[in-house]
Formats: sequence, structure tokens, C-alpha cells
Amino acid sequence: MSETHTSFEYQKQPLPAKWQTIGWTCIAIGVALAALSYFGDRPRMLFNDLIGLTFLMSVAVGAIFFVALEYFVGAVWSTPFRRVTEFLGAILPYATVLALPIVAYAHDVFHWTHHDVVMADEILRGKASYLNMKFFTGRFISVLLVWFVYYSIVTYNSYKQDKTQDQKHTRLNVKLSTIFIPLFAISITMFSVDWIMSLEPHWFSTMFGVYYFSGTALTSLAVITFFVVTLGERGYFSFKITPDHYYSFGAFLFAFTCFWAYIAFCQFLLIWYANIPEETFWYMARWKGGWEYVGVLLILVRFWIPFFALSSRSSKMNLKRLKTMSVWIAASHFIDLYWLIMPTHYKTVSLGWQEFVFPIISFGIIVLVFFNEAKKKNLVPIGDPKLQRGIDFRL
Amino acid sequence: MASIDYSTEPSLTEGRPSAASIDEVIIKPLDTFPTKRWWIGISFTGTLALIWVVQLVWLSIKGVGIWGINQPVSWGFDLVNFVFWIGIGHAGTLISAILFLLRQRWRTGIARFAEAMTIFAVLCAAPFVLFHTGRWWVAAVYLLPYPSQHGIWPNFSSPLMWDVFAVSTYLTVSLVFWYLGLVPDFATLRDRTTHKIKKIAYSILSLGWRFSNKHWQHYERVYLILAGFSTPLVLSVHTIVSFDFAVSVLPGWHTTIFPPYFVAGAIFSGFAMVQNVLVVTRKLFHFEHLITMGHLEKMNKIMLATGSMVGYAYAMEFFIAWYGGNPVESFTFLNRMLGPYAWAYWTMVSCNVIFPQLFWFKKIRTSIPLMFVLGVIVNIGMWFERFVIVVTSLSRDYLPSSWQSFVPTMWDFAFFIGSIGLFFTMVLIFVRVLPSIALAEIKAVVDGAQPKHHK
Repeated sequence: MSETHTSFEYQKQPLPAKWQTIGWTCIAIGVALAALSYFGDRPRMLFNDLIGLTFLMSVAVGAIFFVALEYFVGAVWSTPFRRVTEFLGAILPYATVLALPIVAYAHDVFHWTHHDVVMADEILRGKASYLNMKFFTGRFISVLLVWFVYYSIVTYNSYKQDKTQDQKHTRLNVKLSTIFIPLFAISITMFSVDWIMSLEPHWFSTMFGVYYFSGTALTSLAVITFFVVTLGERGYFSFKITPDHYYSFGAFLFAFTCFWAYIAFCQFLLIWYANIPEETFWYMARWKGGWEYVGVLLILVRFWIPFFALSSRSSKMNLKRLKTMSVWIAASHFIDLYWLIMPTHYKTVSLGWQEFVFPIISFGIIVLVFFNEAKKKNLVPIGDPKLQRGIDFRL
Repeated sequence: MASIDYSTEPSLTEGRPSAASIDEVIIKPLDTFPTKRWWIGISFTGTLALIWVVQLVWLSIKGVGIWGINQPVSWGFDLVNFVFWIGIGHAGTLISAILFLLRQRWRTGIARFAEAMTIFAVLCAAPFVLFHTGRWWVAAVYLLPYPSQHGIWPNFSSPLMWDVFAVSTYLTVSLVFWYLGLVPDFATLRDRTTHKIKKIAYSILSLGWRFSNKHWQHYERVYLILAGFSTPLVLSVHTIVSFDFAVSVLPGWHTTIFPPYFVAGAIFSGFAMVQNVLVVTRKLFHFEHLITMGHLEKMNKIMLATGSMVGYAYAMEFFIAWYGGNPVESFTFLNRMLGPYAWAYWTMVSCNVIFPQLFWFKKIRTSIPLMFVLGVIVNIGMWFERFVIVVTSLSRDYLPSSWQSFVPTMWDFAFFIGSIGLFFTMVLIFVRVLPSIALAEIKAVVDGAQPKHHK
């Protein structure tokens, strides 16, 4: 065991109680509006719910992925902030709640649940052994189990290490994370194929899992960055965060922005270029009825603006810029999901108050879960052997 | 086996070598007359490279008819080998540029070598595209934008055209990047040598480098900028190579996952090659304390990771071939598995996905003979991957009446084996004329070099 920890002073501070109020208020307003929306136009509410679900899953599962990634690659710079990531992973069960209405009224959302339609369609008949409600829920449950079991064990070890300061927890977590990473690749692909790609059951793209993953990693990273900067500015971390740390978050955001753009562009280019009707109809539906504006907006908002805003070295260390861009990027994930999911339901763009219900709920859940987690647990992994190295990190 | 202590930074080199001893061991191959082993090696690879030349001459006289290509398999070994070599090159840029951006200090020991291999691999790859055009002297003209006297313009909407620009830009930037890293080392060589001609040559090449603080500041900045440049370039190169296939409507070629999958596969094969060559070099030149087992193990881990990504792509392609409901697409994949080229397909799957899984075990990751064999297996597998993609899809396309098998001729093999000879000839010359490890950089990562080592 290392001697470095004895010198580390850490005092747990409660987060501002305001957070709790904000969280509950957002959830209360959101749920009330969702109920209103449900009685007004159920399918619309369900599609928005799906956007909320895929968004929150991105934040939660992305965070779990980053916890795993840190152990997996042996990163040290992120260790002092790993708790932020771990707290966000706790959103997983709450995000799952959003899936319940969709499963209950799957008929309104998933075309392939209509038996008569499937039977009349040769292509859909061929897929029926995969796209059926039993297998669908089975896959969803197993995917959730993989995420949840990994998350519970790893965070349990991590919290336990706060007291024991024993390296064996790190060792175990490294092993678990190594096993988890390939499982994660499979599970997030399944999740994205099932919940988003199958909305248009005729459409297919081998890249789709990677596409959703790129958005997931980017969004989750943005939320992590937001919390790190917000808490860091107010001195919650009780160690000195250097510009080098902030730079790493900024650089990571920049890299994943480019990664998302790369994947999105390649998927589009290949389908556009080959021009096969079995694939192009998906993009065609998103190039009329006002969706073309959403698509162009997406490119601008999710790629060009963050790209330029985070290009320079100084902007990656600029806290105000980082905070703005992290909120910006997280919000752009909603546009992305809106563009992916909604055209199935609406041939022309429809944007009303209903579309803002689930962003509000999502925001409330994120803030509230984070607050509750921070109440129970240390914000800094004080027992982690890599902590001191992480604090000392310089570019 | 001692377990890792996570609270301390692992050493990147062994035995705390002094700066002088580092110079000594790295520069030794440059200052001594090549050994007998080296002469045997280069006679062998040189002979193979001569086969390459003979093939090119014969090709120029007779045309591409000497190869086994036919209709519809109009791409054969030429494209397979092109993609294979371009792929090998990718590991070098990953190590030198991407790992630099990610602040992975362990890269310093192997960056120089890997970068050199990038350049050699691209040099091996480029002739395949040039010569597969048949009358290459005409093609060389077509590929340049030129006044339209013939009424024929290069087709800028073709990824094959983009390839030319991507690869040539990549080669240029890689060369500049490599040379930049060499500048301080040339200065060291200049200061050390007593040989008159060498002194002049090193003096010119070192561009007046004086190891001043200002020089280093500029160097670091340019190095970072070039690393930033190389990163999108290297990704674009294999992305565009994948476009060569994926923009078409041919079953088995048109699939959206191709770009990242090709990039992962390229890094995979490139690391296998770098690992293989380094295993031999570190032994022969006594670099074991500079290129440690830790380096090799990390490379093997990257191979495991990228190999698994390739496996993911295979699985995804296969799943979507079924899920997509397109009978031609699903036929293509069944044909790969069970058709006349099933042996190639299963070679590919076992070499690329199954065997690399052995790297899960630390014992295998850290065993020199086993990792060497696995590296060779990976490269065999990656060669077969390109073979499977090119040949199976072309030989069984939409029109069963025009189905043809592809049978390579001796000239196909001559071209391929010749390129291997060319590659290793360049590697052998490289290790004798340039320092195979970056002198300046490795000194900065040995124990005792960092300020925090002197608490």
C-alpha cells in the first residue's frame, strides 16, 4: 500500500440544497406535463418518452462505460473525478422507468409489433424471430442486467476502497472492467438496434450501434464535464484541479465530437453514394417535411459549433467555455435523438411543448440522482491508489 | 508474480540507463560494420525485392494479363496487397501521433521504428495501385489534373481518386513528421561522429540544431501540430480505402460499418507487424532495456482490442446481412462461410478473431515466442481478410452466369512476395543508417529524467 494517501486531506461537503429543489421541481413539472401529454396524444408522448429514455440511457450507460474505461486502460488523470462518473451511472434504474410506458404501449411505437402488418410483409416476416415482443423484452432485461450488475459491483468496490485503501479492489475492478468492455459493445449495440433502429423495421445499417455509442460517449462525457467544472469552480474537490485536468476533459469532448461526426458522416455518405432504395428511404424521410432543417441544424449544433468552440488549447482550459459547451453538447444529443426517432411518427416536423417534457424530466433526474448520490458517498475516491497520481497529472 | 502497484508510475525503461549508455547502444549499429547475419538477411530480402522488379518489368511489357484477374474478378492480388500494406502503415501513425496526443509516454521507445515502418509500408502499397492500372505510365498522367486536351478528366467523385490524394498526403506528412523527430538525433550523431563525410551529411540533416531551449520549444510545438495533422490523415486514409469498396452496390462491400472497421483492422495488422519486427530488433541490437516487455505487452493488448473490434464488425455484418432481409446480401455471407472460398474465410476468422483472444492471458502476452507467432498469424489473417472481401464478393456477384473463380498466377505471388522483400530490405537498411529509437525522446522518459523523480 502506498503512503501517499495519509497526506490527502478530504472533507465531505454537502451539495447545495437548491439542487434537490431544482431536481424535484423539474421532475414534478415534467411528470405532470407528461400525464397531460399522455391524455392528449398518447403516441406523441410515447415517442418523446423514447427520446428521454435513450437520452438518459446515454448519460447513465456512458458514465458506466467511462468508469470501465478508466480501469480498463489504466488512466490516472480521471481518477480524482471518477466519483462524478460513478454517481451518474446511478441514473440507470431511473432511466429504466421511462421504458415501462413504451413497453406497455409498444403498439403505438413499434411498427413490428402489429402481427397483421408483419404477416403481410415478406421482409418483416423474415425478421419476426428477432423483432418480437418476447425476445425484445428478454434482450432489454439482459442488457440492463449486464449494465447493472457490473455497475453495482464496481462501485461497491470503489466505495469500499475509501475505507480500506486496499489495492485489491482496484485489481478486481480492472478485471471486471476488462470483461465488461466487450459485453458493453454487444449490449449497447443491441439496445440501439432494438429501441431506435427497429422503429423503421425495414431499415438497417451496420454502423448504427457505433453511431449510438458515439453519441452516448459524447453526451455522458459532456454531463461529466459539466459536473466536474461546476463542482470544481466551487471548490468541492478539496484538491487543486489544474488546467491540465480541464484540458483533458476539453480535449476528450473535442475528440468525441469529431468521432461522432466521423461516424455520422460515413454512415450518410455510404448510403447516399450507393443509393440503394432499401437504405436511402430512411434518409429521404429525414430530408422532407421540415426534417431537413433539423438535420442541417444537427450538423451545425452537434459538430461545427463544438468543433470550433473547443479547437484551441486555451478554450479547452476556459471553464466558462467548457461549461457552456458541455451543456450545449448534451442538449444537442436531444436534437440528434429527435432527428433519429421522431420522423417515424411525424412526416413533418412538429415541435410543441410536448417535446420539452422529457428534457425537463431528464434534467431533473440527473440533478436529483447526483445530489442523492453525493449525499451518501464521498465525492473523491479517497482510497484509490491512483488518486495522488491523478492529482499530480500534468500534460 | 508480483502484482502491480497502482500508486506508482510504472517505469518505461529498465535499469535506469544513463544518457551516454543510451546513445552508445542505439548508435552502435550505425557505427559498426554490418554483421554477417545482416548481410545474409539483406541478400535474402534483396533477392525477393529483385523478384518484385522483374515482375514489374514483365508487367510493363505484357500488361495485367499476366495476373490471374478476370471478369468479374477484376481486382485480385493488386488490391488485396495494396490494402494490406496500407493497413500495416497505420500502426506507425497511431503510435507516433495518436498516442502522442493521448500523452502515452511509452510510445517514445517504439515511435521511431513504427513511423519508419509506416513510410516503408506506404511505399510498398503505392506501386500496387499504380501498376494495377496496366499502362501505368498513362495512368500516372491521368491521375494528375491536366488540361483537357483528351477530353478525359479524372473522376473526382470516385473514392479511388480520393485514395491517391489521401495516400500521397499521408506519405508526405508522415515523412515530415518522421524527419522532424530525427532532427535532434541527427545533431547528436553530428556531434559524436569522427567520420568526415558523415559529419557533413549529419550537419546538413540536423538543420543547425543546437539543442537550445528555443529550439526545443519550437520543436515541441511543431511536433504537436504535426501529430494533430497526422491523426485525421491516418484515419482518412483507411476510411477512404474502405470507401473504395463500401460506396459500391456489391453485396459484401456495401456496408456502413466499413470505415471504422477498416481503421481498426489496419491498426491491428500494423501492430502485429511492428511487434514482430521489434521482437527481433530489440534482441539483436540489445535494446531489451529500452523496448521492454511492457512495451510488447501493451502492443499485444492493443492487438487484442483492435482484433476484437474487427470481430465485432464481422458479427455486425453477418447479423445485418440476415436482418436486412436482402437475399443477395445473405447469400454473399453464406457463400463466404460455405462457398468455394470458405477456407479463406475461416482462415481469416480464426487468425483475426479467435487466435488473438489468447492475448487475454498474461502468460501468452508476455511470452516472446508465442506473441511472435500470434503476430504472424494476425498478419496472415488480415491479408486473408482483404482477400475474402475482394475475391468472394467479385467472384459471386449478382449474375450467376458470369461467376468466375480467381486463380492467382505465379506473377501475382511474385508481386506480393516481392513487396515483402522490398519492405524488409528497407527495414534492414533503416536500422543501419538511422537510430532506431528516438535518442532525445527516450532519454526524457527513463527513470530519473522527470523532475518528480528528484523529490
